Amino acid sequence: MSSELLFQQALNGLSFGALLFILAAGLSLVFGMMDVVNLAHGAFYMLGAYLALSVVQLTGSFWVAMLAAPLALGLLGLILEPLLLRRLRGRHLDQVLLTIGVSLIVVDQIGVVWGREVRSLAAPAGLDGSVALFGGDYPAYRLFVIGLGIALAAVVTLVYRRTALGMHIRAGVEDAQMLGALGVDIDRLFALTFAAGAALAGLAGVVAAPVFGLQPGMDVDALLYSLVVVVVGGLGTLGGAVVGSVLIGPADTFGKVLFQEFALAVIFAIVALVLLLRPTGLLGRIRIAR
Amino acid sequence: MAGFGKNELAARRGYSYRLTRRQFLIASSAAALAACGPAAVAPTAGGSPSASPGKTLKIGQLLPFTGVYAELGNSMRRATELYLKLNDNKLANRPVQLIYEDDANVTATGIQKTQKFIDQDQVDVMMGVVPTPLAYGIRNAVHAAKMIFIDTNAGGNFLTRDVPNCTPACKSPYIFRASFSSYQISYPIGDYLSAKGTKDFFLAYANYGFGTESAADFTTGIKKNGGSVTGNVAPPLGNADFAPFVTQIKNQPTKNVYSFFSGADAIGFIKTWNQLGLTAAGYKLYGAGFLTEQDVLKEVKDLANGIVTSLFWAVELDNAENKKFVADYQKQYPLLPDVFAVQQYDGMRALDEALKKLGGDTSDKDKFSKALEDVSFKSPRGDFAFDKTTHNPIQDIYIREVKTQGGQTVNTISDKVAKVTDPGK
Repeated sequence: MSSELLFQQALNGLSFGALLFILAAGLSLVFGMMDVVNLAHGAFYMLGAYLALSVVQLTGSFWVAMLAAPLALGLLGLILEPLLLRRLRGRHLDQVLLTIGVSLIVVDQIGVVWGREVRSLAAPAGLDGSVALFGGDYPAYRLFVIGLGIALAAVVTLVYRRTALGMHIRAGVEDAQMLGALGVDIDRLFALTFAAGAALAGLAGVVAAPVFGLQPGMDVDALLYSLVVVVVGGLGTLGGAVVGSVLIGPADTFGKVLFQEFALAVIFAIVALVLLLRPTGLLGRIRIAR
Repeated sequence: MAGFGKNELAARRGYSYRLTRRQFLIASSAAALAACGPAAVAPTAGGSPSASPGKTLKIGQLLPFTGVYAELGNSMRRATELYLKLNDNKLANRPVQLIYEDDANVTATGIQKTQKFIDQDQVDVMMGVVPTPLAYGIRNAVHAAKMIFIDTNAGGNFLTRDVPNCTPACKSPYIFRASFSSYQISYPIGDYLSAKGTKDFFLAYANYGFGTESAADFTTGIKKNGGSVTGNVAPPLGNADFAPFVTQIKNQPTKNVYSFFSGADAIGFIKTWNQLGLTAAGYKLYGAGFLTEQDVLKEVKDLANGIVTSLFWAVELDNAENKKFVADYQKQYPLLPDVFAVQQYDGMRALDEALKKLGGDTSDKDKFSKALEDVSFKSPRGDFAFDKTTHNPIQDIYIREVKTQGGQTVNTISDKVAKVTDPGK
């Protein structure tokens, strides 16, 4: 592999990893706080992408879509948590089952509203060209995705470390019951967390649409990849989502190119290895079964 | 839940409940009552009252209505219903009852539904099947039951060939194919291009049975005239990110790239091809026709310009039958027909022609098979006839180039390879 090719593939891997981070951050956040693996995360991602498609058709602006879709998903999360999940609080398996139900309904409704054909979304004007980098052309939009991933990681870290909300979330991840006993409104915090998770899934859907397109089944792919990322990185920690996506993105890219017969096996081999050696993920902490 | 039982609901959604004894008794006595009643009511046909309609013809359609191929299933369903509408809902004076089952692109589900068609519905003929693994999977059940099955999509070569030990599948006197074999859409263009002097190709294909089969047939085609394959990339089917593969293509010297992708993969591949500037760098893309069918073109538009593909049909094909078909279809539905609609429409036509020869009598399956073998007609794709040896169609293959004309991105026909027959024995 020439150095130029290596560099371009590394960029491919990193931009894929950045997308995975945006996608997995929400899943990890919700799990850390609520102890629920939200299996509707892929469906939220898909809904974000289709909403973006409609917003772009209506307003002609990708940037409006990038604001509107996460907002809409956040609102949906804000409604779903008190309406459904809260009723089953403490019954984690039932909650997980419930999220499967939510995903089936959401995906089916997408089929009814937008149809089951394959659709695509153009990159926004200004980012649809390519940039000369080390003698090769590279798509500007993919560089934007890398930048967005880094920026989002920075923002989320700031919120986590420097704000009262972040403090509550960190405390909630440690022990939600104790946090409630100390007078923090847990119901509100859980609803906000779930909404933030859904909004992040929606954002990932918008950002991914120009790269991956929109089609039936995209929810399952997204869910699978985000699960891989959080399992490898460590469930429930932000650092885990960062490490997981930075590892899985390039591993997937180079795996597919170098060992194309085992394309999908490469990342699952990593999952198996991590689970064998560090069952809680690379940056995960040991959780006491409750 | 008046009038809409739990089991009926379940059946519509594609699964079944085990009956309780009470439900079984109610259902079976109801069925017995119905059987005693005055002559079973046939679905309204709207045909002429003069000729008394024959026994209802049951057609079992195994199609995907959910999952990644849902739109293909819908398209084929539209074509079926269009054909029946244009023929007063009758084939050879028999009113038609369509029974649809959703395989959801899951082979095990499809096999189950096939068994349902055979045992429970006792259909007279079976049609449909989109994915090749499913067609291979139901081959033995269909063959053993002497069920006439007209495959209206799945293109795996083995389904209509003589294969030692019948692994993974082989031809059957009761199986016909109204679509194509993967050989037919891949070998001729390889032969054609290399004969014209374009001899060296890099391959890019979806890494699954049908993709690898097509790549192999294309390779045989170009080798016939001294061409060669310089390398390949094979993304997994339903691959999300095409950049790693297109980057590999851009970093190797062979400028001509033959590809096999369809649907979402085709859109992703063509978009990434343009984003990474391959056309500008002098690379030229060729492919099996599904790479540039309507579902893809309406999303990628002029990004596809210049791509050369081969297929047995194009919506722009200039013949009387095609013009009528496209017009009829557009009168009925607010969209252009696609190649899947043509395959299904031709399947219905072939069935219709065979039934006419039999006077509508489908009881003797061997006679039914013989009648289908002798069918020939003018189809939207050109002359249509089954190869008597393989039951695969003998058809012209068109070489098409994508161009944007008057704001529309279309496949223009640049040449054709006449009467391509699958080499199966």
